[in-house]
Amino acid sequence: MTTYPILSMITFLPVLAGAAIFVCSERVARWLALAGSLATLAISAPLYSHFDKGSTGLQFVESVPWIPSWNVVYSVGIDGISLPFIFLSTVVSVLCVGASWTAVQMRVREFYASLLLAETAMIGLFAATNLFLFYVFWELMIVPMFLLIGVWGGPRRIHAAIKFLLFTLAGSVLMLVGLITLLRASGTLDFQALAATRPNAALQSWLFVAFTAAFAVKVPMFPVHTWLPDAHTEAPTAGSVILAGILLKMGGYGLLRIALPILPDAVRLFRGPMLALSAIAIVYGAYVTLAQTDVKRLIAYSSISHMGFVTLGIFTLNRNGIEGAILQMVNHGIVTGALFLCVGMIYERTHTREIAAYGGVAKLAPIYSTFLALFCLAAAGLPGLNSFVGEFLIISGAFDTRPWYGVMAVWGVALGTTYILWLYYRVALGEVKPGLRALRLDLDLREVATLAPMAALVLTIGLYPESVLGFLRTSVAQLVVASAASAAVVGGM
Amino acid sequence: MIAVLPELILSGTAVVLILVARRVRRARSAAPWVVAAAVAAAISLWAFPPASSTTAFGGTIAGDRYARFFGLLFSGNLALASLLSVRHLDSERVPPAEYFALLLLASTGMMLAVSSVDLLILYLGLELMTLCSYVLVGIARDRPAANEASIKYFLLGSFASALLLYGIALTYGVTGATDFAAIASTVSRNGVTRHPLLLAGVGLVAGGLAFKIAAVPFHAWAPDVYQGAMAPIAAFLSAGSKAAGLAALVRVCLVAFAPEQRIWSVIVVALAALSVMTGSLLAISQSRMKRMLAYSSIAHAGYALLGLVPGTPEGASATMLYAFVYAFMTLGAFGVVIALGPHGENLSGYRGLATRAPGMAAVMFLFLLSLTGIPPTAGFTAKFAVILSAVRAGYTGLAVLAVLCSVVSAFFYLRVAVLMYMTEPEEAEPARLPIPVYAALAIAAAVTIVGGIFPSTLAVWAVPP
Repeated sequence: MTTYPILSMITFLPVLAGAAIFVCSERVARWLALAGSLATLAISAPLYSHFDKGSTGLQFVESVPWIPSWNVVYSVGIDGISLPFIFLSTVVSVLCVGASWTAVQMRVREFYASLLLAETAMIGLFAATNLFLFYVFWELMIVPMFLLIGVWGGPRRIHAAIKFLLFTLAGSVLMLVGLITLLRASGTLDFQALAATRPNAALQSWLFVAFTAAFAVKVPMFPVHTWLPDAHTEAPTAGSVILAGILLKMGGYGLLRIALPILPDAVRLFRGPMLALSAIAIVYGAYVTLAQTDVKRLIAYSSISHMGFVTLGIFTLNRNGIEGAILQMVNHGIVTGALFLCVGMIYERTHTREIAAYGGVAKLAPIYSTFLALFCLAAAGLPGLNSFVGEFLIISGAFDTRPWYGVMAVWGVALGTTYILWLYYRVALGEVKPGLRALRLDLDLREVATLAPMAALVLTIGLYPESVLGFLRTSVAQLVVASAASAAVVGGM
Repeated sequence: MIAVLPELILSGTAVVLILVARRVRRARSAAPWVVAAAVAAAISLWAFPPASSTTAFGGTIAGDRYARFFGLLFSGNLALASLLSVRHLDSERVPPAEYFALLLLASTGMMLAVSSVDLLILYLGLELMTLCSYVLVGIARDRPAANEASIKYFLLGSFASALLLYGIALTYGVTGATDFAAIASTVSRNGVTRHPLLLAGVGLVAGGLAFKIAAVPFHAWAPDVYQGAMAPIAAFLSAGSKAAGLAALVRVCLVAFAPEQRIWSVIVVALAALSVMTGSLLAISQSRMKRMLAYSSIAHAGYALLGLVPGTPEGASATMLYAFVYAFMTLGAFGVVIALGPHGENLSGYRGLATRAPGMAAVMFLFLLSLTGIPPTAGFTAKFAVILSAVRAGYTGLAVLAVLCSVVSAFFYLRVAVLMYMTEPEEAEPARLPIPVYAALAIAAAVTIVGGIFPSTLAVWAVPP
């Protein structure tokens, strides 16, 4: 165990770097942002080397009284469920800095400050061990995302930014009421204490509705997903990568961190509808994806389908399903983030996102097409690449409890293979489109350096999934046991 | 005498200013003295720590912690409003000495109102505040809008004062007392909690005070007055008049009408629900900044009242915290309006502000986030506190209504952010600003940030009556 406050350091270092950027010149801003995000990644290294995989408790815990009158403390700590997300946040932030190096030329300082503020919010959210802090970071995340989409986005960015803002706020204010109700009922907001003193079943149902409203918007689950295609499409590359890589995971993480351990009876009660919505998201999302003509919009809709797998896995409530859901979130963050990076890189050259404008890119840009092929195959769930493992676990989890949902998920995988390979076919193969020939399409060294870590992760997790699963096994087992035991206790009462 | 020392400092400065009025030609030369008086009043509040038993003038004025909290708020409000006034006074040809004297006297009235524990002194304090406000609203005589606003304010305000006075008279008629503690003890001793005249008295007093805080349905004056008055006066009123009204309402409800809690609780719930809904929904369609802030102030009156609903000390201190935080964030938002001059009055003047004046846009964004209630700003912690007290009292439905209205409010507050950050500028760079305006904005921003990250630093001072 380390003795210095490592979690607080990685949480607040980015925002301090962001503040420093404001007083620097634009020329330094990029380097300072890179240094800040790299330093954060470096400092977080002991989290992985010193993590005790066998421990069921929280690790690297810090706790300081904050607002005594509401019994609110500043407390952070991690377990196996939060660690992969912290890893993802720190890595994705570095890559976003790299990806925006030339793409962002307007208000550079504000851009990187927003990016780093977002990193603070992401890490803080995943490190928080009480609901108040969780909520603060949850809301804090909205501000930089709103700016990233609205200031540096595409032509319809204002519409997308406002839609994003209103959807997420509407969900999260209900979480605020839920949080306050929970504080009133239990007198504490600490996750572990809340899981030990659960509210009664009737109250749990109301709380589940309030919290799931917030989480479902972020995931996004089926009926409240409509903000995502707009936000994804209009956001700048870095914004799309953060949206896909981290922001969507906040919802799934919230379900795992709050709904399952604290509201287990309500989870059982609402399990059927949640599974059904997940299955709809998988299949409906996949069909809508097939019909898209805009590359970014296509990936956005595929996110809805892929996140449907996540919620399906979570609500199987068994170990395979939940481990698969967490792994799928990490994988989706990597693969979809990488796909957005790829799209951003070629968009910088061609300034079009229409699939019809592309063709034969493989002949013009072999390096680019190799990366694109790798990430497309990963998204399609090719065995040996990362997404396969997560989807396999989720589907096997679903077959253990509700086989029909497993069937739906398999259908979704088949559709997913179709749309993503068809995308690759249309963009990279076939005749070279005349407009592309004059452009220098292939990647430069910086872009290769941005994509290479993602490719390495795709292969590492695909070939050796234990590299992630090993961290989360104990925590997931404990989560499954705890939520199952509670139902027995309450059922016996 | 110590109990009224801050009031003496402020009114004394006002008298001196009136005496030397002919010699004061520029706002710049008078403003430092007003700020100094406000600081002196704050220091005097700080230097003589109040005990709960300190009373003066035959037990009609209490120098307790509650009064001190609001006294500090009014000192800050006065200082910031004076700093923000400097730019406007010379261009609007307003006589500076008279203007500042009225500001000082209005602040004196606010302080008297919050420290009074007697309905008549309360009335006197509020009237002193309101009478000065009528004049201040119309002080830019050359502007027809200001005159219209002043007259509207005067007519509606007189009506509200009459309500308040009538309520006081009815209460006196039933209980034979105007002293808060005596009213409460008489009501419980004689068992007249359901006396119809007393109920009418409670309703009328609450209505009269609701006018001061611009709660629906007593809000009609606010949009026109904020629109017509000079921006510094609108800021001064939205922070000060609301805080004074809330302070008076909280003390009257919790002390004098404590036995009538079931009655005023219903009234407060209705006022709060109507205010958050009306304020949030009507603000959407506004195209003028001051008018939008007026509707926002109506909505915020509703949020602040949420804390009073349960009638508990925790709830009351949540309302106090809300009044304090709101005062500084609204002063900050008006400060930006003032700093931008004529461009600041219309929403279109905010187009591309982040390109023209990044620092100004950043502080405005901060105040807007705080008004929306997004962490880690003081607006969030204050909203959390009042919603917590409403939920604790079992009003979960009201809490849900309030947070949904805050989503609505996000739309119109952040529309300004959209204009500032996401559109291209149309006009030239704003003129260079006087240092006082910068100072005022810095103070307001500091309170907004510190109150958000370390809310306990403010909350410990919010001691309910």
